[in-house]
Amino acid sequence: MKLTRRDFIKISGTATAGLALNGMGLDLRPVEAYSWELRTRDAKETPTICCYCAVGCGIICHTDTKTGKVIYTEGDADHPINQGALCAKGASVYQLARNDERVTEVLYRAPYSSKWVAKDWDWALKKIAGNVKKSRDASFVAKDEKGRVVNRCEGIASVGSAAMDNEELWVYQAMLRALGLSSIEHQARI
Amino acid sequence: MSGKSFLIDTSACMACRSCQVACKAWNRNDGTVTRNRGSHQNPPDFDGNTFKLVRFREVRAGNKVSRYFFSDQCRHCIDAPCKDVIDSAVTGGAIQDKATGAIVYTEKSKGAPFKDVRSECPYDIPRQREDGTIVKCTMCIDRVSNGLQPACVKACPMGGLHFGDREEILARAEKRLATLKAKYPKAQLLNVETVRTIYLVVGDPKEYHKFAVASANPGVTRKVALRRMFGPAIDALRTVARG
Amino acid sequence: MTNHWIDLRNSDCILVMGSNAATNHPLSFRWVSKAMEKGATLIHVDPRFTRTSSLADIYAPLRSGTDIAFLGGMIKYIVDNQKYFHEYMVNYTNASYIVGSKFGFKDGMFSGFDSGKHAYDASAWDFEKDENGNVRKDPTLQHPRSVFQLMKKHYSRYTPDTVSSITGTPKEDLLRVYKAYSATGARDKAGTIMYAMGWTQHTVGVQNIRTMSIIQLLLGNMGVAGGGVNALRGESNVQGSTDHGLLFHILPGYLPVPSASIATLAEYNKKFTPSTKDPLSANWWQNRPKYITSFLKAVYGDNATPENDFGYGWLPKLQEGKTYSWLDIFDRMYDKQYTGFFAWGQNPACSGANSNKTRQAFSNLDWMVVVNLFDNETASFWNGPGVDPRQVKTEVFMLPCAAFMEKEGSLSNSGRWAQWRYKAQEPPGHAKPDGDIMVELFNEIRELYKKPDAKSAFPDPILNVKLDYTAQGKFDPHAVAKAINGYWTRDALVGGKMYKKGDQVPAFGLLQSDGSTASGNWLYCQSYNQDGNNMARRDNKDESGIGLTSKWAWAWPVNRRIIYNRASLDLTGKPWNPKKAVVEFVGDVKDGKYVSTKWKGDVPDGPWYPLKNPDGTDRPDGKKPFIMKVDGVGAFVGPGLKDGPFPEHYEPIESPVKKHPFSNQRNNPVAAVFRSERDVYSTPSDRFPIVGTTYRVAEHWQTGVLTRWLPWLLEAEPEVYVEMSEELAKAKGIRNGEKVVVESARGSIEAVALVTVRYKPFKILGKQVHQVGLPWHYGWVWPKNGGDSANLLTPAVGDPNTKIPETKAFMVNVRKKAEV
Repeated sequence: MKLTRRDFIKISGTATAGLALNGMGLDLRPVEAYSWELRTRDAKETPTICCYCAVGCGIICHTDTKTGKVIYTEGDADHPINQGALCAKGASVYQLARNDERVTEVLYRAPYSSKWVAKDWDWALKKIAGNVKKSRDASFVAKDEKGRVVNRCEGIASVGSAAMDNEELWVYQAMLRALGLSSIEHQARI
Repeated sequence: MSGKSFLIDTSACMACRSCQVACKAWNRNDGTVTRNRGSHQNPPDFDGNTFKLVRFREVRAGNKVSRYFFSDQCRHCIDAPCKDVIDSAVTGGAIQDKATGAIVYTEKSKGAPFKDVRSECPYDIPRQREDGTIVKCTMCIDRVSNGLQPACVKACPMGGLHFGDREEILARAEKRLATLKAKYPKAQLLNVETVRTIYLVVGDPKEYHKFAVASANPGVTRKVALRRMFGPAIDALRTVARG
Repeated sequence: MTNHWIDLRNSDCILVMGSNAATNHPLSFRWVSKAMEKGATLIHVDPRFTRTSSLADIYAPLRSGTDIAFLGGMIKYIVDNQKYFHEYMVNYTNASYIVGSKFGFKDGMFSGFDSGKHAYDASAWDFEKDENGNVRKDPTLQHPRSVFQLMKKHYSRYTPDTVSSITGTPKEDLLRVYKAYSATGARDKAGTIMYAMGWTQHTVGVQNIRTMSIIQLLLGNMGVAGGGVNALRGESNVQGSTDHGLLFHILPGYLPVPSASIATLAEYNKKFTPSTKDPLSANWWQNRPKYITSFLKAVYGDNATPENDFGYGWLPKLQEGKTYSWLDIFDRMYDKQYTGFFAWGQNPACSGANSNKTRQAFSNLDWMVVVNLFDNETASFWNGPGVDPRQVKTEVFMLPCAAFMEKEGSLSNSGRWAQWRYKAQEPPGHAKPDGDIMVELFNEIRELYKKPDAKSAFPDPILNVKLDYTAQGKFDPHAVAKAINGYWTRDALVGGKMYKKGDQVPAFGLLQSDGSTASGNWLYCQSYNQDGNNMARRDNKDESGIGLTSKWAWAWPVNRRIIYNRASLDLTGKPWNPKKAVVEFVGDVKDGKYVSTKWKGDVPDGPWYPLKNPDGTDRPDGKKPFIMKVDGVGAFVGPGLKDGPFPEHYEPIESPVKKHPFSNQRNNPVAAVFRSERDVYSTPSDRFPIVGTTYRVAEHWQTGVLTRWLPWLLEAEPEVYVEMSEELAKAKGIRNGEKVVVESARGSIEAVALVTVRYKPFKILGKQVHQVGLPWHYGWVWPKNGGDSANLLTPAVGDPNTKIPETKAFMVNVRKKAEV
């Protein structure tokens, strides 16, 4: 991937380095020639595509090379559709990358329980796999009433998701169909 | 006069608010806790974390509805009364960047009388944070001085926000005005001589926002005029008095 | 979209209807505005004056659910005033076809209706055929049973007065729209339609779109730059998730899911491979056997052999007569027919119609798996309003997944561009990419089925499916993308060229039906081939002059940016509008005849010769433009739909109108309705006298499952509101900004009254009818005072073809909160 920077503007008296405009927190000298540090100067730029509507706008993520965290996101100026611009949602994706409300643990709610309990992946995936098998085995219809082979798991349904990547979608449909699901749906239907 | 300027063409605006969010994203400003008060305009007004705000107005005349979207921000006055007030109170509380003409407040603005700063602004822009700092649009001076567009300008999908050398922006503004005049006879540029954020509106500016055009006496009130006359002397006196 | 986003700039007239694109697809307006700068007309038809309206040259209000009446009137206007593109229509559509004598239409009903089955027998609308099985045609279009004459007769009833009386659109606005849009029937003009859920979410959803397709074919707007039928899809990869068959009725690449009566692959191919005797029809679906076999090879790998029918028997089969759509799933879940449920990247507690029913259905499950970034109303349903967790047996797993910039992969936008994106940071905490979660889960399931267990039901497909797409223990999107594209399963000599086992297949023209190729989705064959990952291309230069940017990413099929582009040419292969040529045939000419095939511009819809030589003689080897249709032409009469060959106005299931002027058939006679005690539909009454609709805001997305958690967006639109006219507010004593209650036959929610001049009461059949609208982005989990989903109000009733619910037109009442 090659990034060019079409969003540069001409500027007279450009400075190379200097003060940071950290929320106006710095003590600025009372002179009238300043140079200002760009807070994304040393960040790694990664192109991505917005997760919201299907216009498919390009976004650049700026990742701090020390912490590995995204520190800023903005429109991809090279992208032919949005040419650097974004809507309010596209302009906000930084808050998706850095959000304390994200679920970061596997959560489990037992039958009749009033609370979530954090679990590890291994436990949860084994338990779900067991549930899948139990539901599938109990609801599997090998032949219909007319004796025709249908090989259908009728007791499990799945919805989702138009938010996943193509490669995930393809694997997900292959997996669900291997299980024998017919009740496979997602956002396209609503 | 050189430096930089904005052109904000309100006729192109569809109120997507990307400018409002992009401003927060670059400046790392928090979201404000709001309620819906019967309007899509939110936050209701500028605040310590909101330097850019899309204002919404709507008017119906017969079967015709007009919507006025106004992407409001600091005008970066050529001769900024807010800076005079801040300067008069505290050295280095506000600066004017030479290359661009941007008016930027610093942390030292804490020491300035906020009420005066706000009331001297013909466009009702400055706001105060809880820690006392006075804040507003910085013209993304850190981006601009590193060769980037201001965050709001870059984010605008409609090409309604422009930024560049003042002469270039003025020429663009006049050209766009001439085009729009054919369809909107009332189209006009607001306070073009005295500010660096030039608004192009297609209707009565008062329909957009109370402070779309400079209120009362743009630029210089008596108080400020006095200060200018005696400038450094008064500041020195103040400093001494406070010292 | 048949076209793509940038192509909007090439349009001369843009009709936005069934969509508020400026709000919901803001960047589309970057290109709409560029068209307008060059003089294009923007028209918005919508119940409410929106941000799209505020930029439009013409705004016309209409009552929700009356689009067919509005557009039927446009068909009449085009036909009466001869605004159609005659040459295009005669050659590229079925206007000249003769419909069989069994066709009839009386009082809102077409012939062939079986009242016992409550369904049409579509063969009643078949075309008349000659002794050789070819459709009879009348190129003069005068035959009374020609498609053109039947269409003319059908829409003769859609007079401006009648249409205005039911849509509520003032007659002068109707005529302004008709006049402006039908001007694109000129050969050098292009008109486009931008629509979204405002058209699909109706019991006549498909017919809404068909009505517009008819208009586009009449005006010659299909296949041209600045034209087409453009669905503005609302999810970043809903195009990809549809392409890849995450729906009950299609496998990847729009291959039908087999059903019980189709026992073998041979029978499948026989049933789904259309044939034609017309040498001028490309009939692209004749290639179906190559695509299904290659798909099965991709799914089952070496385990798919000719001897075992390539594993066809392992695929689950649908039961004929039974559908498994969204509405069906939640109806059956409500009826306790499922024990397990995955809500993977979706929040059905808020997103489906009649959400009260959905939320109650969850408690009938034994277990539920929710995969998402944030807590949501589905995962936490057991803790929701009015629910006592101690009474809910459902075991719930909430699995945290990566956000989009925390993984690598491709997604397909509305213009069919598959674009690759990269990873910018690790997921937080223990969150994982969806791909890793599903592969790890599947491996756990497979382990269970590997063990001997008498209870194990039919382990074969689980054990035989090829899902080894990992590298260093992680999900590898490149490996999957290569398999989706396709590869040779053995050395093969094709067309004089040798391909080695394991080589990527260059493009779908080379896919085979003998098992020598595997391709997860034929439509994506070329996306990741011997040239590498074409979806990751970043050359943004436009060499076309019409904004195709053909080297940016990759578009299906075969990087074609505007589909049906052969229809942009006259019969000799020259563009109708040379100034905006999409493709052009530039083969060598000798003595007035083409002697070589050569194309320039976009990737043409097939390499064949045009239909005529420069000297006007016919070419027997030419091809008609609509290559996915069996007969190669655009269809005014479509036999494939469940609710009639021509779109006809019916009222929404819930509507303020007892009787409409077009017929005595009030509703779509074959609409999908449900019968649980939660499925209540109101009849015209004083109890629910106001038309309700739902929509979105620019700052939130779908159920708000992501955006409600982002403070920069939440501050702009913090809570649910209901927009209403000043007239309605006055009648109800409601002040702007106060909390009100909105209620339907199914549920009620509290919302902030937003009293606006942008809604005006409609005059429908002489009576005043109010309409209100609400966004459906909210839910009780967060923010705490943001309100709940507007889908608590909407009816679970669907279009007969798609089963998409009618959430855009239903009946409500609004009252002050204090009143009881």
